[in-house]
Amino acid sequence: MSLKSSFAEFAGRSSYWFLHTFMHGGSSLPGKITLKLDPDILQSFAKKYDLVIVTGTNGKTLTTALSVRVLREKYSDVLTNPTGSNMKQGIVTTFITAPKPKQKGLAVLEVDEANVAIVTSYITPVAFVFTNIFRDQMDRYGEIYTTYEKILKGVRMAPKATIIANGDEQLFNTQNLPNPVIYYGFNHEHHDDLRAPANTDGLLCPKCQHILHYHLITYAGLGDYFCPHCGFKRPKLDYAVTKLGKLTPTSSTFELDGQEYRIEIGGLYNIYNALAAYALGRFLGVSQSQIKHAFESDERVFGRQEEINIDGKKTTLILVKNPVGLNQVLDMIETDPEPFSFVFLLNANYADGIDTSWIWDGDFEKLTQHDIKQYMTGGERYKDITTRLTMAGVDKIWKEPELASVLTKIKDLPTDHVYVLASYTAVLQLRKLLAEKGYIKGGMD
Amino acid sequence: MTKYHLNLAHLYGDLLNTYSDVGNIIALRYYAKQMDADIAVKVVSIDEEFNPDEFDIALFGGGQDYEQLVVSKDLPNKKAGIEKFINDGKPLLAICGGYQLLGHYYVGANGEKIPGLGVLDHYTLSQDHNRFIGDITIKNEETGQEYHGFENHNGKTYLGKGERPLGKVVSGHGNNGEDGSEGAIYKNVYCSYFHGPILTRNGEIAKKILLAALHHKYPAADFSQAEALEIKPTF
Repeated sequence: MSLKSSFAEFAGRSSYWFLHTFMHGGSSLPGKITLKLDPDILQSFAKKYDLVIVTGTNGKTLTTALSVRVLREKYSDVLTNPTGSNMKQGIVTTFITAPKPKQKGLAVLEVDEANVAIVTSYITPVAFVFTNIFRDQMDRYGEIYTTYEKILKGVRMAPKATIIANGDEQLFNTQNLPNPVIYYGFNHEHHDDLRAPANTDGLLCPKCQHILHYHLITYAGLGDYFCPHCGFKRPKLDYAVTKLGKLTPTSSTFELDGQEYRIEIGGLYNIYNALAAYALGRFLGVSQSQIKHAFESDERVFGRQEEINIDGKKTTLILVKNPVGLNQVLDMIETDPEPFSFVFLLNANYADGIDTSWIWDGDFEKLTQHDIKQYMTGGERYKDITTRLTMAGVDKIWKEPELASVLTKIKDLPTDHVYVLASYTAVLQLRKLLAEKGYIKGGMD
Repeated sequence: MTKYHLNLAHLYGDLLNTYSDVGNIIALRYYAKQMDADIAVKVVSIDEEFNPDEFDIALFGGGQDYEQLVVSKDLPNKKAGIEKFINDGKPLLAICGGYQLLGHYYVGANGEKIPGLGVLDHYTLSQDHNRFIGDITIKNEETGQEYHGFENHNGKTYLGKGERPLGKVVSGHGNNGEDGSEGAIYKNVYCSYFHGPILTRNGEIAKKILLAALHHKYPAADFSQAEALEIKPTF
């Protein structure tokens, strides 16, 4: 390592120590300082680690967390970035604050779609893991095709890296790339001819521009697609879920390559994340029994949902940020056999997406089929979400723009189970309040 | 059972739905219910015929460049139908891409000129490295009503013969960022760059569309109650 890099790394490390010890936070500023002193610092880390990049719209965090757990069954040094630090500065902070590996380590990093090319211009990864591409905060990212193009810009710099891609996402089957590709997906049922609901993205065959049909749809536009017009179809899957078991809001069981697995998190979409971690694990030589052990070890995986006890109310806080993710969460909470209350907190800051119209693609109508005892709305844009719920047919809504009153009112809800869906900055604000009041430990990585 | 029944054509609803355009259908159904009406929705997509006599309301949403291009190639097949629908005085709501495609042409992201239907007299140019993004408020000069929305567009649209703006920009950018106009009204066609669920925040426009459809379909009926319907702000 050059003197300049060493000094930059030292400065970054020191600022991280200072921020964490005295300021209780800071995962991006140390990276910023380090980059200022040595813009090429990432290059020096390439010698110390083999890198895996996890990217896509939804599921990056959980796929990364599960992958790390799987890979730790075999590798002693696995480095990863904390939740949310998936931009360049956060990634640099991750490297400079890690203990120095004894031999070459493995780094599994969640990387924001627009930052893939920035990272691969310094470090050539051994593998990319692609989760999916959905429309997400369009005021920031643009359209799904441009998002995928941003990722490809990074991939083109690493033509030898293996791509481990969701085979059920048709966008990942539109380019002829020189890279070896491993596909994972779902094969648990087969129909002759299905059509996706009209309000689904990316329905067109990329080859002949006719509407795609399906043999199986898991959610949104994902599944075993085919084009009856030109023959374009899903590629052969290397790893597939062949059977679904019991799905609850807190766990899922499923069969994969003939073996049953269980993960301690609900939601069909999280099975895709487990599947991606499985495919990566197999690619890097982790055995099936090791993966099973990794999935089923007791420790809860912190994805974008957590359970908090608020004065006896079992409160599940879930981040929602785009329509596909939102609909998956609505599907998941429906599997709760207990009665529950439903809270939605909506902000429209830059990190939430300043356009709130995505809530209209959420299928809130289905909530009215359930015995939901009480609804509550909050956040800076509570009026938007209140209108959405009202037009879905909900008539009893407590409106609490201030999050502090939301917290107080949770105690008054008539059920023991409470689901709080919240946009990004609303999650941060609520967690801060919860920490101040001692319900959870402080800070958010 | 509701007393009145309306049929809505969601033009290319499976391709032009990028900005939660479905919210407009939800809002129309919500207010229609208060007018004792229900709405049946049918998506009319590429390779399918659009029969104007089958429908009372039409919706033409916005999409991504790729899908819009595909739609533009299919549009000539539906031109006669859409033209008749509009000339019959039936209400059509066109948002963003749909708005652009009703005009003569629009210029795509790569500078190519993409033909529209040419049933309305506007045209759309594109900007380099700039989009109009953010909250927008406009005022309709005939009614004095204020409309609130969110715009996110690269296109700059210039109105032509017979078109008047949906509103005058109070804050935001509007059609082109130059002449202070936003959207367009022509007969019972309402066009706007408000993304995408414009009617969820602007129930007064939903009311206009529904009344136009009801009066057209049931010329002898008395809709004075529906006309008196008061819509509270939702924003």
